[in-house]
Amino acid sequence: MQKGEFKYTFQKRLGVITVIISLLVIIISLRFFYLQIFQYDFYKLKASNNSIRTIPIEPARGLIFDRNDKVIAANQLTYNLELNKKSQYDLDELARKLTPIVKITRDDINKYQKILANDPFLDTVAIKTDLTDEEVAAFTANRYLYDDIQLVIRQKRFYSYAQITSHLVGHIHRINKADIKTLQANNKYQRYFASRHMGKTGIESSYEDVIHGYPGYKQIEVNAKNEIIQTLVTVPPIDGSNINLTIDIELQKIAFNAFKNKKGALVAIDVNNGEILAYVSQPGFDPNFFIDGINKDAWSKLNNAKSKPLLDRVIRGLYPPGSTLKPFVALAALENDIRKPPFKINDPGYFTMPNGSKTFNDWKKGGHGIVDMAEAIKVSCDTFFYGLGLELGIKRINQSLEQYFFGRKTGIDMHNERSGLLADEAWKKNKFNKPWYGGETAITAIGQGFTQVTPLQLAYATALIANPKLDQKPHLLLYSEKKALYKNNQPPPPVNEKNIKLIQDAMTDVTQDGGTAAFLGKDIAYKIAAKTGTAQVFSLKGQEYDEENLPERLKDHALFIAYAPAEQPKIALAVIVENGGHGGSTAGPIAKQVFDYYIKLNNF
Amino acid sequence: MNIVKLFQEIDHYLFGLILIIITLGLFTLASSDQSGAALVVSQIINIIIGITLMFAVILMDPKKLFFFAPFLYIASLFLLLFVVFFGYESHGAQRWINLGFLKFQPSEVIKLTTPLMLAWHYAKNDGDITLKQHLLALLIITIPFCLIFIQPDLGTALMISFVGLVITFVAGLPMKFISISFILFLLSSPLLWGILEPYQQKRIMTLFDPFSDALGSGYQTIQSMIALGSGGLIGKGWGNATQTYLDFLPESSTDFIFAVFSEEFGFLGVISALILYLLIFYRCMFMVTRMQDTFSRILSLGILMSLFFGLIINLGMISGILPIVGVPLPLFSYGGTSMVVSLISIGIIMTLYNNKTLIAN
Repeated sequence: MQKGEFKYTFQKRLGVITVIISLLVIIISLRFFYLQIFQYDFYKLKASNNSIRTIPIEPARGLIFDRNDKVIAANQLTYNLELNKKSQYDLDELARKLTPIVKITRDDINKYQKILANDPFLDTVAIKTDLTDEEVAAFTANRYLYDDIQLVIRQKRFYSYAQITSHLVGHIHRINKADIKTLQANNKYQRYFASRHMGKTGIESSYEDVIHGYPGYKQIEVNAKNEIIQTLVTVPPIDGSNINLTIDIELQKIAFNAFKNKKGALVAIDVNNGEILAYVSQPGFDPNFFIDGINKDAWSKLNNAKSKPLLDRVIRGLYPPGSTLKPFVALAALENDIRKPPFKINDPGYFTMPNGSKTFNDWKKGGHGIVDMAEAIKVSCDTFFYGLGLELGIKRINQSLEQYFFGRKTGIDMHNERSGLLADEAWKKNKFNKPWYGGETAITAIGQGFTQVTPLQLAYATALIANPKLDQKPHLLLYSEKKALYKNNQPPPPVNEKNIKLIQDAMTDVTQDGGTAAFLGKDIAYKIAAKTGTAQVFSLKGQEYDEENLPERLKDHALFIAYAPAEQPKIALAVIVENGGHGGSTAGPIAKQVFDYYIKLNNF
Repeated sequence: MNIVKLFQEIDHYLFGLILIIITLGLFTLASSDQSGAALVVSQIINIIIGITLMFAVILMDPKKLFFFAPFLYIASLFLLLFVVFFGYESHGAQRWINLGFLKFQPSEVIKLTTPLMLAWHYAKNDGDITLKQHLLALLIITIPFCLIFIQPDLGTALMISFVGLVITFVAGLPMKFISISFILFLLSSPLLWGILEPYQQKRIMTLFDPFSDALGSGYQTIQSMIALGSGGLIGKGWGNATQTYLDFLPESSTDFIFAVFSEEFGFLGVISALILYLLIFYRCMFMVTRMQDTFSRILSLGILMSLFFGLIINLGMISGILPIVGVPLPLFSYGGTSMVVSLISIGIIMTLYNNKTLIAN
């Protein structure tokens, strides 16, 4: 190869290299152009996602007080040991390592795993909740051994009165995936991103919107090791509102304890404004166990118990009203101008259907003799009401009862209230495909037919008799943040004053000499207007009802409706004692304890 | 007087451009430096050593380079061998020699001595270059390639071979031969793939979809692309590179320093820096075309290729079009050996250009 030739090739190939390098640099520039100009927005977002974290701040849940500012639902500070959701843990090993300091049981591990499996969005999950002071101290002293476990302070709901207010206040529970779906469907999810709990039952559920509050958040800048560099923005949460209930917790306690170990329900209402003063469902349960998920055994024990402690009997317990329905049926007759005084019957102790098809007995053998309407209520004469019912007819009975909120919701500020049942021809046809018999109308008039009522319906209807001008729904919220906000008008049924007076007087006589609850009127400074009732649980088919020897679960339900003082009514109530036998004798004294306290407290 | 001579001998245009690039690199390093000013101080010392050696080279008789070429080449091969057996391991690869007072990377040195040896080889056989000479040239390339490849340092190994191939190309390797070797390379690539370490294979694979393994082998690429992309047109400003100061960007002072620069100064900064680099390239190319003899031309071109393949591989790497292979950005990245060798290289080009007529005779 000649020198000149080499030079020629060299210069030419040098040109090729220059072009190649220039092209490569241009390609690199285009790549930078693409990333920095074209995809700028994408990478800008990526960069901030890298380094900016939003930390939700949970709002404090509003406290629940009774009408006298006694705390029913409080927030307590508790210490939890929590594990990071993103890390992997050998739980058995961890439990073994922790046990000398904080005992971790199988139950704790199961609970942790359950929450982990169902929990859609938390960053840490508790392995142990409610540490004692000693455990906190021991853990803190040995913290260096457990750098993958966090000691966290959290607010925990505490229900001070446990069973006594279990159905009334209800409880919160851990938010699960189903809750999130519902919240998202209702556009409320943004209020919950910082929360672990929400109201599940009772007041905690029905006033969730008021109590829950609004979350805040903190935006922080973190580095690649997830260490906090600085706080960029802080938006504080808006805590939930504190609320006061209409309940008087002392009255609630008296009412609850008056049941002793009997099952049943009691509702007491201020007849002037519909405020519920006591709301008892027996037996209760401790709602504190439900906050972070009750363990399986305890739950199935509660859920399967024959005494049904989880049932809120006040708004969901359905009972045949028995004779407590008589004042309302009587009022229906009066309003329809039927069997008004001085109409009387001579009660032989039984009633035969006009066509002779069937005979119904009075509860009293041999009958009550000559009775008018007032006397029929006082002595609870069945015979009088069989005839009255037949003449009035099921349609007019039901129409009138419905005006007093039987067979429909009273509108109380609780979720899942039941309507009860007012049966008629159409209902029976639909349900059993059978015709309606006249005899069924007759027994409906004494409260023994298909009719089913809740204790709340009985109490509210009683309040409407005590004060025919009561124009408020029965309600539990007194005020939120001490600002009155509950005004929920509900017009009372139209009624003739003379008619209501007759019923009121008759009910007052029930606690006087000769009345079915005469014993309650003895040695008492005020007068109680009442009506007793007994609802059959079991049809004895011709056998004698022998209360002494009947198994407990087959005994009749005892019912009692009343208000006091009879002349100037303040408080109305309904009591049901399941399997309590005769109404006056078991339910009556419970009512009296409530009245005694309330009358004395208010100097009526 | 040496200083007067030095002032005359320096290519002012080229030296000016290089000072600007070095300054940009220092500023970027200062903003990415998490350890106070320690890295900046150490880099300034590297630069002073580099420029001093560059001046020494400029004042040196270039014939000495020709004379010492084989010794320097063989010495650097021994250094590489030494690294393989006694090297100082860092980031899963043995690339360092630690002399206690001095740590350096022989693979950076070989980027200079291989072109030197090739230039010596072609100059020695000037006017009588046959296929045999080309094959010998390939051997000169293959030995350091293998030694670096087993460190393992895929990036530098590929750079050495690219540079070597460009040298054989400009030295007149027949086109026929080039085409045949290219086909052979393609055919043997599955075999070469098999030789690669799993982590190297993974790096190449994640190139096609870095987000497929965002926390693993794609992490560096993604974080670097985020740094670039979030810089936008004008950048976040000096010292405001969140990717850097929050530690998301790995190796932000060495291999990924230009990602920091891109995040801070945006596309406009990038284009300005690239224009500076291209001006350096064109100036050097101009100097090469003026050289009269084979040794000067081949050595200068080889050195230049070392610098610019470094640039292209580094920028390709940080922008996600080439795998992460660990090649620093010449004159910009933190690192003593790279900075000193780059400055010496520029010095060599200047002295060869100054003495073009002298050597030719």
